[in-house]
Amino acid sequence: MNSPVICLSHISFGPKKRPILDDLSFSLEEGHFMGIIGPNGAGKSTILSVMTGLIQPSQGSIELFGTALTRFNRHQLLKEVGYLHQLHNAEPHMPLTVRDVVAMGLSQYASPLWQRMGKSSQHQTAIEKALKHVDMLDFMPHDFRYLSGGQRQRVRLARALVRQPQLLLLDEPSAALDSQQQQNLYLLLRQLCDEKKMTIIMVEHDIAAITGHVDSVACLNRSIHHHAMKGEQIPEDVWHQMYGEHMHVVAHDTSCIGCHHD
Amino acid sequence: MIPVVLVVIMIEPIQQFFASTVMQETLPSALFIAVVSSSISVMVLAHRLSFLTVGVSHASLAGLGLAVTFSLPLLPTATAFCVGIALLLASLPKKQGITEDTGTGLLFAGSMALGIILMSRASRNEVDLFGLLFGNILTVTSSEWHWLLFIGTVIMVVFIGMARAWWSIAFDATTALASGLPVAVLNLCLYGTVGLAVVMCVKLAGIVLTTGLMVLPATCAWFWGRSLMSLWIMSMLIALTATMLGLFISYTYDWPSGATIVLTLCMIFIISWGATWRTQQHRR
Repeated sequence: MNSPVICLSHISFGPKKRPILDDLSFSLEEGHFMGIIGPNGAGKSTILSVMTGLIQPSQGSIELFGTALTRFNRHQLLKEVGYLHQLHNAEPHMPLTVRDVVAMGLSQYASPLWQRMGKSSQHQTAIEKALKHVDMLDFMPHDFRYLSGGQRQRVRLARALVRQPQLLLLDEPSAALDSQQQQNLYLLLRQLCDEKKMTIIMVEHDIAAITGHVDSVACLNRSIHHHAMKGEQIPEDVWHQMYGEHMHVVAHDTSCIGCHHD
Repeated sequence: MIPVVLVVIMIEPIQQFFASTVMQETLPSALFIAVVSSSISVMVLAHRLSFLTVGVSHASLAGLGLAVTFSLPLLPTATAFCVGIALLLASLPKKQGITEDTGTGLLFAGSMALGIILMSRASRNEVDLFGLLFGNILTVTSSEWHWLLFIGTVIMVVFIGMARAWWSIAFDATTALASGLPVAVLNLCLYGTVGLAVVMCVKLAGIVLTTGLMVLPATCAWFWGRSLMSLWIMSMLIALTATMLGLFISYTYDWPSGATIVLTLCMIFIISWGATWRTQQHRR
């Protein structure tokens, strides 16, 4: 049997009295597509940062591809991880083409200037393929600064995909995408799981949008309250544990005007 | 017609300029400094380090003051001091509320004060204060030239080796870190390299004008460039042109060299801005 792609055991983070993450454990096999949902401040982004080694958990350990993640092997292990974070406000206005932005996702990008980057056909094909996935191939020579918010988000997605990672971590990837692009994105992710055996962990707030595509949903609020497999209903008390007593679980039916019916 | 007349009129001063021994000795070092400073200026702009160059260049006064007081070799001491200050700023505890600009302001004023006190104790003959503040490339001794050549080569090797990593950190440090790059180490190298480049520029443009050389070439290139490579090459070409032109004007009209070069760069900036203004408007 293969070792799990990612295995978190007893992860805690933050001050002891009010931890952001509290004794959190799970592991995922290859090809698994997991959605993480939870209220604001539940630690959704934090858990992704822990998995990429951006922050050190105060307790617990992380295994990627069967190897424990440490400061010294993170460079090697993270080559197989694609990551899309959520803080794009700090992105400076630098002259960059869409192609350059995607090339930054290649693990060989940071090589010295005398190595011609991305000019090799292998890199070029990877970049084109990633842009094609997000339907942005026509924009390859365009200046990244002059794209719309949704187009930029799709380019960032391509940057996470370009290294063809075994593990893909996405923090609200559908932010700034219209509903059509959002659907396309989920279909693409599903396809990558099924065909490339990619493992995907995706943080989203809209559970209704993702349930049809993911293999499981983890309800997170400091720790995982419930890990629902596909088709399984999330019990009402879990919702209350996550979001508090003030939330109402609403059953959607055909008369619901907030839902799309095709 | 006009360009032809202009060229005919200009030929004689240009010949004089290249024939003069002072310029023959000065030009190589000035152009070398231009190449190095304009390369680093791309990263100064991308990482928003212009204030760092101000801080470090002023800190060099304290370095020179220490060198004079303890009769140490001038340039090497200043170099070590500037790199030290730059690295100190890179490793400031940002989480405790000391942001980079606060720290720079602090060290800038502190080391300037130390420099002024040390300098006031030194005898007047030892220090060319005016040259130090406003630059004097005309007085480069051969040992200084060797020193400039040495640190300039180090800067260029590090720059070519790390430019792309620095570029990707400037664009998105979180993603760069998450993809496994040793961001902290690379940042330390960047600050150290900027510190080294500042020392070189102080020789040419002086403490006060150094920031001009460290910021303006890439600022001009920013209007035209579309990628790291094109920015780098354009930044170098602009700095080389401005240095040649500036030295020529300074020689012909007997203006201070450093100030003339910086003013030429400012002119190129205004021209670039004007020329691209319409396209920028159109794109937004």
